[in-house]
Amino acid sequence: MSQRSEPLPRIRVRPLTRANLSIQLTLLGLTLLTLYSFTTFDTRGIGLVEALQDMLNNFRLLLLEPRLRSVSFADLLEALFVTVGLGLLTTVFGAIIAFFLALFAAQNLAPIWLNNLIKGGTAFIRAVPTVLWVLFFAVAAGMGSVAAVIGMTFHSAGYLIKAYAESFEEIDAGVLEALRASGASWWQTVFQAVVPTSASALLSWTFVRFEINFSTAIAMGATAGAGGIGFDMFMASAFYLDLRELGAFTYAILVFAMALEWFATHMKARLGKSRE
Amino acid sequence: MALLQIEALTKSYGNEARALDQISFSIQAGEFVAIIGPSGAGKSTLLRCINRLVDLTSGDVRFAGVSVPTLRGGALRRQRTQIGMIFQHYNLVNRLSVLENVLHGRLGYKNMVQGVLGLYSETEKREAVRILESLGLGEQIYKRCDQLSGGQKQRVGIARALVQQPKMLLCDEPIASLDPNSAKIIMDTLQQINQKLDITVLVNLHQVDVALAYAQRIIGVNRGRVIFDGPPAELQQEQIQQIYGSESGELIFSLRERYAI
Ligand SMILES: Nc1ncnc2c1ncn2[C@@H]1O[C@H](COP(=O)(O)OP(=O)(O)OP(=O)(O)O)[C@@H](O)[C@H]1O
Ligand SMILES: [Mg+2]
Repeated sequence: MSQRSEPLPRIRVRPLTRANLSIQLTLLGLTLLTLYSFTTFDTRGIGLVEALQDMLNNFRLLLLEPRLRSVSFADLLEALFVTVGLGLLTTVFGAIIAFFLALFAAQNLAPIWLNNLIKGGTAFIRAVPTVLWVLFFAVAAGMGSVAAVIGMTFHSAGYLIKAYAESFEEIDAGVLEALRASGASWWQTVFQAVVPTSASALLSWTFVRFEINFSTAIAMGATAGAGGIGFDMFMASAFYLDLRELGAFTYAILVFAMALEWFATHMKARLGKSRE
Repeated sequence: MALLQIEALTKSYGNEARALDQISFSIQAGEFVAIIGPSGAGKSTLLRCINRLVDLTSGDVRFAGVSVPTLRGGALRRQRTQIGMIFQHYNLVNRLSVLENVLHGRLGYKNMVQGVLGLYSETEKREAVRILESLGLGEQIYKRCDQLSGGQKQRVGIARALVQQPKMLLCDEPIASLDPNSAKIIMDTLQQINQKLDITVLVNLHQVDVALAYAQRIIGVNRGRVIFDGPPAELQQEQIQQIYGSESGELIFSLRERYAI
């Protein structure tokens, strides 16, 4: 083999397109901004070591020494129940509304103008954060649980319509065609082919939304007067400045979240198996 | 009177060239007819105009004396129950059991609530099981469809069409995804259905040799037009070349000699 000394041109793995260039410029800009903000922190004369010690101490109180004082254990359970209830109710309401609207938002099930109408509407609903919807409905219903239920349901429905409709659109067009060919009506096709095929995806999305609604429900308790564990946490932290009690609430939420996760996994596994 | 009468059927999708152009033929009850033609000739479109899965642009299709193009709603559904359809990719609901899929063939006879909830009568269930057993699927009735082989899935597809108690079967390339052995089983099954149950069969095929072996009559389609319509014996190399274009003619013809048909 003869060796050539002639240098080969370098080969670019990624072509330098306009899109790539703009991504790189954006990253550079963000890096510069971050560096700038580090140099201009207002630390109000608190030393780094001191601050770190304080923070670790707070974590110790929060996580290693939890206990209840202003409320009893029964109160805690009741507050957790209220918050879970808020999350569950809004998820169920949202899911029922979303199921029916998503059928008309799916391209393979309804005419395109109806798809666009519903998809456009839900895009708008999702673009506005849940909290703003709650505040919006608070004008009519007053601050409190009613506004929280309506506002959270609204946003849940908007979210789930998109998720459900995309699951429906993944269904094999041939299957729907086969049922239509045998004389099945639209609603029969929906419940005999669309629902069984997408059931597990629908369940997954609903659980994801329940997790979101559970944490939103905590925040709503603290900020929108929806009650529940969020309100108690707000009192413990902002009113009693009691990190130990806050820790107890945090653990209660953690335990519930883990139980929910286990339940969701278990349900999905059962749904997969039940037909075998 | 013919079971199926097609007159000057024309179909165009949007502004594209006509997928079907002035197609006319009729089929008598009890016939076994194969439609052959190159890819894109309009074979699938033709079958779908018969049960109105696609709307025709002009012309008329009469099935069992009823004019199909103007049917709507309940009347269209009732018409469709009389025509079973079988697909290349089987088109079963994979997450449901074999029996549930077969019973889908009864949906056209149900009202909305019965169909939505999947309420079938004992007679219907017994009939479904009997058909499955006759197709050699008696052991599989509670299996999920995604656990079946291709050949088994296609037999479930046939069972679903048969519980409709149809007058006619439309088969859109029923063996194109199957190995030769399963393909033979499916074609033999279709032949038996045609002969024993006296159900008219109209089948789209890619394999000319299979069409020659099973069909009593062959319709050759090219670019949306009927090029040939006659018994297999009359299908000569010249016609095959017209249907498929000149290059492919010899290849297909040599196939025919090899199968000694
Ligand atoms: N839904 C559709 N929209 C637009 N054009 C279509 C549609 N379906 C079919 N066509 C066109 O109609 C013509 C006939 O298609 P068709 O599927 O009927 O052919 P075919 O003979 O079944 O082909 P193949 O053997 O590949 O299945 C083709 O040119 C195709 O591009
Ligand atoms: Mg086709």
